[in-house]
Amino acid sequence: MSLWDRLFRTRRLEARLDAELRDHLERQAADYVRSGLPVEEARRRAHLDLGGLEQVKEACRDARGTRLLEDLGQDLSYGLRVLRKSPAFTLVALLSLALGIGANTAIFSLVDSLILRSLPVRDATSLVRLQHGSWTNPIWEEIRDRQHDFLAGAAAFSADRFDLASGGEVEPVEGLFASGSFFEVLGVPAMLGRTFTLEDDHPGGGESGAVAVISYAFWQRHFGGAADAVGRTLALNGIPFTIVGVTPSSFFGPTVGSSYAVAVPIGMVDRVRHAPAGSRLDGRTTWWLDVLGRLKPGQSVAEATQALRLAQPQIREATMPERRHPRDLEEYLREGFTLVPAANGFSEIRGEYERPLLTVMAVVVLVLLIACVNLASLLLARANARRHELGARLALGASRARLLRQLATETLLLAVPGGLLGLALAGWGSRILVGQITGPGGPASGAPVSLDLSLHWRVLLFTLGVTLVTALLFGIVPALRAGRLSPRDAIEWRRRGLTGEGPGALGGPLVVTQLALSLVLVFGAGLFLRTFASLAYRDLGLESDGILLVNLDAQRSSVRPEQRAALLARAEEAVGAVPGVARAAVSFMNPVSGMGWNESFEVEGVPPPSGRDRVSWLNAVSPGWFETYGVQRLAGRDFDGRDRSGAPFVAVVNQAFARRFLGDRSPIGRLLRPGGPSGAMPPRVIVGLVEDTVYRSPRDAMEPIVYVPMAQGMDGDEAWPFATLGVRSAGGSPSLLTRDVAAVIAGVDPAVSLSFRVFSEQVGASVMRERLMAWLSAFFGGLALLLAGIGIYGVTAYGVSRRRTEIGVRMALGAQAAAVVRLVLGRSFTLVALGLALGTAASLWLSRFVAALLYGFEPGDPSTLAAAAAALAGVGLLAAGLPARRAAHIDPARVLREG
Amino acid sequence: VSEARTELPQGTLDLLILKVVALGPRHGYAIAQRLQQISRDVVKVQQGSLYPALHRLENRGQLAAEWKPSDTGREAKFYRLTPKGRARLKAEEADWRRLTEAVALILAARAET
Repeated sequence: MSLWDRLFRTRRLEARLDAELRDHLERQAADYVRSGLPVEEARRRAHLDLGGLEQVKEACRDARGTRLLEDLGQDLSYGLRVLRKSPAFTLVALLSLALGIGANTAIFSLVDSLILRSLPVRDATSLVRLQHGSWTNPIWEEIRDRQHDFLAGAAAFSADRFDLASGGEVEPVEGLFASGSFFEVLGVPAMLGRTFTLEDDHPGGGESGAVAVISYAFWQRHFGGAADAVGRTLALNGIPFTIVGVTPSSFFGPTVGSSYAVAVPIGMVDRVRHAPAGSRLDGRTTWWLDVLGRLKPGQSVAEATQALRLAQPQIREATMPERRHPRDLEEYLREGFTLVPAANGFSEIRGEYERPLLTVMAVVVLVLLIACVNLASLLLARANARRHELGARLALGASRARLLRQLATETLLLAVPGGLLGLALAGWGSRILVGQITGPGGPASGAPVSLDLSLHWRVLLFTLGVTLVTALLFGIVPALRAGRLSPRDAIEWRRRGLTGEGPGALGGPLVVTQLALSLVLVFGAGLFLRTFASLAYRDLGLESDGILLVNLDAQRSSVRPEQRAALLARAEEAVGAVPGVARAAVSFMNPVSGMGWNESFEVEGVPPPSGRDRVSWLNAVSPGWFETYGVQRLAGRDFDGRDRSGAPFVAVVNQAFARRFLGDRSPIGRLLRPGGPSGAMPPRVIVGLVEDTVYRSPRDAMEPIVYVPMAQGMDGDEAWPFATLGVRSAGGSPSLLTRDVAAVIAGVDPAVSLSFRVFSEQVGASVMRERLMAWLSAFFGGLALLLAGIGIYGVTAYGVSRRRTEIGVRMALGAQAAAVVRLVLGRSFTLVALGLALGTAASLWLSRFVAALLYGFEPGDPSTLAAAAAALAGVGLLAAGLPARRAAHIDPARVLREG
Repeated sequence: VSEARTELPQGTLDLLILKVVALGPRHGYAIAQRLQQISRDVVKVQQGSLYPALHRLENRGQLAAEWKPSDTGREAKFYRLTPKGRARLKAEEADWRRLTEAVALILAARAET
């Protein structure tokens, strides 16, 4: 008899079993008849000898070994019937599960792709990277030349954006500078053509000239997947490159969170950037490369680090930065190289989003927990309603294990579709979330975030696990209660509804748990909303509305570097004359762009602040910049046409600078000197004082800033390779100005590349993370409130329905409606108070972990906590009040009549 | 009917069934009768537990069953021993002997003073 037969031909099996037992009975009866008993008596005896026919059959069915599966079929069809009978319950259960599981899966798939997953390259676990940020090309070259002393292979890369357009508005594309060994060390083969060789990576290009490798996605997007793309020419920043290969679709680059489109050899960097030959390649103070390596077989990370440290003195000696303080050089020599595992790649956004993501992960786990508690109490109420049914089945001989299995099946019937729905929701949700994450390069770059969110086995496993744990959590309490049930209890309980808590009592602890968890979430939502509000409505010290930012890149212009300031001034003047433009001004750094330029300073005649405090932010601005950006001048004068190169060097400082460097003495007329020995900056006379503005990010405090005139800033080859033109609109939307502004600047110099950004959007993007946290936590906090409300309502309403008789009797004996309401609310209030107390303790403890994500107040902020508790208490009052009101309207006569 | 019946120790029913079936294919009723006969009615097998045991042994491949015409003219289910069943019988028989001998020895021992 095959398994198939046993499973699916049960009807035949049953007939056979029946025949076998009947045969036995007849033979036994015949024997009795032969020994002289009358026929009827013989049959009776035969039956008695065998025992209960049905019991024997059951025992035989158990012996078949397929019992579990057969029962499952039965349980499923029965479970489906039960669920169909209560569509409202089924709907609420499915929705809350789908939402809970979906949210968990969505966040987990982000956590997975951003934090956990390995790079899609050969044997990612043996990849290491050189720790602590970026390295200079001379250091990389030293490492490259000695790599086999400590690693199986080493590679370097740097992400950049290339422009596909030749002048005018830029057509940005995600670029990568890669060492000749890059693809080989990572183990990424070419899908088409070839990848780089060491020969390609020479300053200015190898024997094959300027070559590029493109990604699969770019190949599809830009070349429509044409087979002859290899060999074609692609202009990057106006420099022609020959495409030599396409990488496979799985490879998105070394950086998690962005996808490369075009890679070119490191040796091309100065040409691509239109910088003087050697400025990046030979720069000993330009830190721009990430270095990675592959361990030798069997080598540990510590061994590789040790081997690298042996070579460290030579590498450091050979790459000493010029023009540095001896103390800095000593530190440069001493600082040890460290290799760390790099299986999951590099990421700019990982650092910024790791903690928020994990926080949100905790939030959605709590939400799921609350949903589970809710379902558990709903199922419990249902189980109580079904006690009679279950008791009857027990009395008829069903085993307890069988009943438990039945309940488990019903639980899974909710959990599995809930999980599947959740998976669908998750795919949609995680894509929306990625759209809300600030891309690499800070808020100014506008670079898109790209994460591989395809369903990975780990995500599927996670969802499966969450679904099962969920089912266990919400199914176990009702199941345990059913396990304790005795048939007598079940039948008697029906009649015992007069007083007492009865089997509903367990609803209490569940509701308290749920309230406590909800308070944590609502409090968290309050914290993140306040953080976002205090950042979004923070006075930045400047007026960001109505400004269009034009990012100018003058490196491709034929104008010589020392003439760039004049070129920018001409562009500014031309744009200022465009109709609809109120004023325009140029600066080197744009506020709130996430970028910065700093220098250490001291003011002559005043003791300088100590250590790092000597460093101040720096910006170069054109005359009228303060007015354009709405920065108030407090004393002295603005820059003007007199402050040109050759004239006395001047500067304007802000209040924070005056406070820190001058102890609030008037800065006007004082002499400002660069604090370091670098000598890059001449001494300047301070001619003006302006109010504080935010420099890099709204999260930062108001910090000291020194402003210098564009016309007196950097000189020589380094002068203003790029700058930002701020255009204040005369009233209309600033984004409407782009076309006219582009045309005017093209008239000044068509080779200048431009990109546009509305300033207020850039400011918004700089608090994207906080906005996302506020948005998510508010959503889940609201959900928690709703679920808590349903929970309290359920428990109170259930209590009222169970005590209907008692209430009726009390009213018949003269109890007032108010007393009845008190009676009902009393218990609910106790639960709410307990839940809030527990939740407050939990909130205070948990809030410490999100302190780093908050801005402007303490994590255990009492007023936020009080507001959250009040919100929950309000919901509790409302949810308990409705059933209480109904209780007060119970008609005693009817209750007594119906018993 | 003997009054001095003995309850079967746990797990011996399988052994007895295998032993009876080893003598030749039989149907359930015949197995029950045979057990009673051989044991001279000392062992009274609960018929209610006989059939589940038969089905369990069949399910484990130690017995094979076949529907064949029988003396009553109807088809009956005849069980016979499989090689697997024979091996189990041998092992259980040996076990049983060792156990009963050991128990007998202990019972025969005199008190030492």
